[in-house]
Amino acid sequence: MELAGLSTDQAPPISAPVRFFLTAPLFGILAGILILFSDSATLMNRFSMESIVITHAITIGFLSFIMLGSMTQMLPVLAGAKMPKVELVTQSSYILLVVGVISMLIGLYTSNTMLNIIAFIGLGGGFLIILTATALSLRTVVNFNATVRGITTSMVFAFFIVLMGLYLLYSYIINDVGSTHMIVANVHSVWAVFGFAVILIIGVAFQVLPMFYVAPKFKSFCKKRVVWLISIGLVIWMFLSAFYEEYTIVGKLWIAMFVWAFATTVWLKLSKRRRPISDVTVWYWRSASIFLTLGSFLWIFDEYFKHEYIVMVGILIGGFILSIIIGMLYKIVPFLVWFHLNAMGYMSIPTINEMINKRVAQVQFILFIASLIGFIFSFYMPYLLDISAISFIISMVLLEYNVVAPILIYIKTKKTKPDFDMSMFEAAKE
Amino acid sequence: MSTIKEFLSADHSRCDEIFANMEAKAGESLADARELCEEFKNETERHFQMEERVMFLEFENKTGMTQGPTAMMRQEHTQMRTLMSQMLDAIDADNKDKFFGLSETLMILLQQHNMKEEQMLYPMAQQHLAAESDRIVDMMESLIVE
Repeated sequence: MELAGLSTDQAPPISAPVRFFLTAPLFGILAGILILFSDSATLMNRFSMESIVITHAITIGFLSFIMLGSMTQMLPVLAGAKMPKVELVTQSSYILLVVGVISMLIGLYTSNTMLNIIAFIGLGGGFLIILTATALSLRTVVNFNATVRGITTSMVFAFFIVLMGLYLLYSYIINDVGSTHMIVANVHSVWAVFGFAVILIIGVAFQVLPMFYVAPKFKSFCKKRVVWLISIGLVIWMFLSAFYEEYTIVGKLWIAMFVWAFATTVWLKLSKRRRPISDVTVWYWRSASIFLTLGSFLWIFDEYFKHEYIVMVGILIGGFILSIIIGMLYKIVPFLVWFHLNAMGYMSIPTINEMINKRVAQVQFILFIASLIGFIFSFYMPYLLDISAISFIISMVLLEYNVVAPILIYIKTKKTKPDFDMSMFEAAKE
Repeated sequence: MSTIKEFLSADHSRCDEIFANMEAKAGESLADARELCEEFKNETERHFQMEERVMFLEFENKTGMTQGPTAMMRQEHTQMRTLMSQMLDAIDADNKDKFFGLSETLMILLQQHNMKEEQMLYPMAQQHLAAESDRIVDMMESLIVE
């Protein structure tokens, strides 16, 4: 059995996830700036180049960076699995992904074939390295619980969406954007949202909600079946949308029903939680559950309105994923800093609450939510787009501040060595 | 009789309950939470000792691994003991912010610790100590805290 997660010596170095965490909000800021320079009519079309570029600044640059970065840290704890050569894997995939995503954003925007080729290599290489390393570490898991099953399933979807994404990029490179491109693009986006992101979040929620908030445990039906049911729904939906387009609503209803049930369950579990603490992370779980509920209903509704609302669906479900990810970041970054410093023997370090400026986090939350609501209404009131984009940019700047602050504490403590004291551990060993 | 894994996992949940009650009380009045904080500290100490003085020893004897997972778990126990003492100090100093900062830190440390135990160490212990499971659970139940 793999014991890596049980030893600090072998636990992943703090730099492995942190490089992803520090970069992600910068892509959020970039996405905000791009929105600021677009207009709502262009963004209403999901296939406009602006929409594609902005979406990927968020989905690759922000979401996948944080999700894959946290995998390096969470796999040892949640699954007892250690990523092989974690430093090499995260460094190389990080560089490839950063180069890849920037090249893709500029390449698509300016129709530059050379940049698109660089993007193809960077994104393909970067994703395949980190996904393969994750898959290899999952192979060592002995105790396959609901969370590990969720993570594994989402990684399978991740692998397919990367392949589809590469195909889509390739068709821009050879300048052949036909009907297959549209079908693949559709499957790529729906699988990315529900297959990768939603299933990953569901898997992690099974563990995190009961543990961190002392909420009631999820029912065994939910833990055993929901991930499979959504996965089956996604495969059914894919076949229907490829061959029997008029029946795709069946697949959509199937997926939306279970996803909505999950959103409602999260809300109810939070209401019954035994810990009374209501910090910004609880607000984020709440907002996530509202966004997911509205998003899954609108996704069905949209089917009857010639997909007029599909971008709004994207904003709502994107709001769900972003909410969870940002909320998680507020817990994981200060804890990592505290844990690594404490394990090195530094005792008088700030608690994790003191590392994050609570006021800044609250303002960040409000601006973030306001910006999403603004984006939705800007379809009817285009003048709202600019102010919403500015609100989004500021919220991402504040998020970056709250990620940087704990890291600075880490760097400063290591440099000044205030109270290096190992006597406590020596006493424990005796 | 429950297995080692079931017995110790159930004890985690029991301690979580006390922790939640303590925080709820502290939200109303920090001074009133002192009793619950002590109860939590004592019950957690009892859990630690059931592991350190019974289960870990049996596990180490059986597997010969003294510097493996149990050493890491002992180290995290030490980290948590310090945090629990600091929480009592915060109550005595009537410093609510400090108390909740410490309790939040402890909560995350504790939960990731429990996950590692429930996910890896307990199944492993159960596997190696299956034949002696009942005896070990008995010994843990009758332990007198030092």
